[in-house]
Amino acid sequence: MTTPPNEIGVAVVGTGAIAREHVRSLAGTAGFHVVAVAGADVARAQAVAALAPGAVGSGDIAAVIADPAVAAVDVCGHTAAHARWTIAAGAAGKHVMVEKPVALSLGELDQMIAATRSSSLLAGQTVRFQPAVAELKAQLAAGVIGRPRLIHIQWYVGHVWPNGWRAWQLDPQISGGHPVHNGTHAFDLLAWLTGRRGVRVFTRSFPGAAAQMPVPDSFQVTIRMDDGTLALLELSYALRRPADVLRRVIVVGGTGTLTHSTEDDFGLSSDMARAVPASVDGAFGRQTAHWLDVVRGRTQPTTTATEMRTALALGLAAQRSLACRDVVALDPTSVEDGR
Amino acid sequence: MTAERLRVGFLGGVRHALPYARILTRDPRVEVVGVADEPSSTQWIQKAGRALAGELGVEWTTEVDRFARSDTVDLVVVCSEPTRHADLACTAIEAGLHVCVDKPVATSLADANRVLDAATRSSRACAVVNRTFSPALRRLRSWVDDGHLGLPRHVDVEFLTSSATFALDVEDPRLVLDVALSGGGELRNFLGYAVDAIRFLTGLEVEEVYAESDSLFGGSHAEYSVEDAAIVSILLRNGVTATATIGRVPAVPTVGSTHSMIRVIGSHGHAAVSDEQPRVLRFGTGVVSAAPVDGGGGRIAVEAFFGDLVDRLLSGRSPEYTLADSLAGVAVTDAAYRSCRSGANVVVSTTA
Repeated sequence: MTTPPNEIGVAVVGTGAIAREHVRSLAGTAGFHVVAVAGADVARAQAVAALAPGAVGSGDIAAVIADPAVAAVDVCGHTAAHARWTIAAGAAGKHVMVEKPVALSLGELDQMIAATRSSSLLAGQTVRFQPAVAELKAQLAAGVIGRPRLIHIQWYVGHVWPNGWRAWQLDPQISGGHPVHNGTHAFDLLAWLTGRRGVRVFTRSFPGAAAQMPVPDSFQVTIRMDDGTLALLELSYALRRPADVLRRVIVVGGTGTLTHSTEDDFGLSSDMARAVPASVDGAFGRQTAHWLDVVRGRTQPTTTATEMRTALALGLAAQRSLACRDVVALDPTSVEDGR
Repeated sequence: MTAERLRVGFLGGVRHALPYARILTRDPRVEVVGVADEPSSTQWIQKAGRALAGELGVEWTTEVDRFARSDTVDLVVVCSEPTRHADLACTAIEAGLHVCVDKPVATSLADANRVLDAATRSSRACAVVNRTFSPALRRLRSWVDDGHLGLPRHVDVEFLTSSATFALDVEDPRLVLDVALSGGGELRNFLGYAVDAIRFLTGLEVEEVYAESDSLFGGSHAEYSVEDAAIVSILLRNGVTATATIGRVPAVPTVGSTHSMIRVIGSHGHAAVSDEQPRVLRFGTGVVSAAPVDGGGGRIAVEAFFGDLVDRLLSGRSPEYTLADSLAGVAVTDAAYRSCRSGANVVVSTTA
């Protein structure tokens, strides 16, 4: 397999819904050339590869990663396989973007970070590239409200969406549980906005739309950070209407407060279609462009090793809190992940 | 009792006493007859009571036994520092008078139960000031009652007020900061509002509480070692959950000095309301101000509460919001403080 001159050859590992989104975005980003899509099912890999001109589908993931035409590997697929393919790609000197959640344990994540030390590792935390979230971060970085001290995040989504509740996502052994699988968005946001680590986590859940599911679709997490900052994260993937999105963030700092809610967006109201709120839209493309800059050595990955560890540690602790119905203390310096 | 006029006396004249008195004096069915306080009460608190009496043009006295008599007063409004609410309420109840206690009814479970016991022995009414008459909260409740949301599964309450207006909102910050007077910090001050709303919307009792609190913003709360903010995770009966985000913060996420929001996630829909909305925004040169319709829910809620209370007392009916309701709020607040101290999820108890 070959890559056109001046383009970065990229392989996508995984053939699910997210892999399809990644392939579309990579194929639409000048500078990336999708060399191959690899997965256990060749037919699915070929079907996804067909979304990118010139890409091939393969059932041999290891061979695709080792292909000299591949400079960067986009690791999708279920979470339990993230570590294996990230470490393999890193060992082969390839840059890696790994879809969220990055791993199932901090031990796995540390190996992934070590394996990609000579290249790069970007976590697919697409939320960072949502316009309103990016602006919140920019405002915080400019110091307009001082240090964040109290944070309330509401993260509400319709219960029904494509590939939303696959069997592997409902199996905590493979997905990490819902706080790890989808909670990672909010946990990463917290880690990014505050720059702090969590020290105490408590989670409570309610069965919003489907009480019989093995993981709760809705949960709330209280978090104390290592500087005393308090955060309340509320996630519900149980809103009644398909494609409903309600994202609301309040960050109270020492000298001011920042807030954004998708409820404040102007937008489309039509019987014909639902539109993504403007404050959320376009994140995927921005993330892909950022990854291109990382691979070309123009910038560092937005997701630092510390932030990836913090987000995962919070997710694991939240899942453990749900399981034991108790408070979970975190030692931010330990590799102990609470599993 | 069926009467045309209600003679109201204040026992204690601090905190919300003046706004309550102004609401009551505007009611043509009410005559405010005096302000009293115990001779043993703190001098500056007596001074505030005397000033209130002067403002209202009524008698000021420290002869509580003479003041709290059914031949001169029908309803006593207890409006002292919170740690004396229970004592003063019991005094008025045992004098055979109707009583309305400012929130919180008491600062300990033992005291709250003492008031409840005294009221149970009395033939008179004992009310507690609350915000469940908020039009926004009643609108949300009507949507729940009409089945628009299906089964309520989660309630999310935010109540944040500005520390920039602390000195204006509370005539003396010690009434909130000094535990000897307040019985706690902003958890004691505000969590009851959230608990009232959650119980009002769901009709369910709170069973477990986990809370984190701190003095996050330094300043006077840190000096007095009381919390200025808290996040609270609540489990109600039937697995329904709730959260509360409360605090006195440098800047509230709204135009104005107080921000409130209540959201219900139901099995068939979700809805949110705010006491500060709907509102009209006014943009000046570099200044934005908000005019909540009808003056804003916080004020309306208290006005509606007193209007309803007067209605009920004059027609011989009991208060809608009962002492048991207020005891539930004290119990959840007590559980929140126990959770903060222990770092554990705790079971709510209404007994000390």
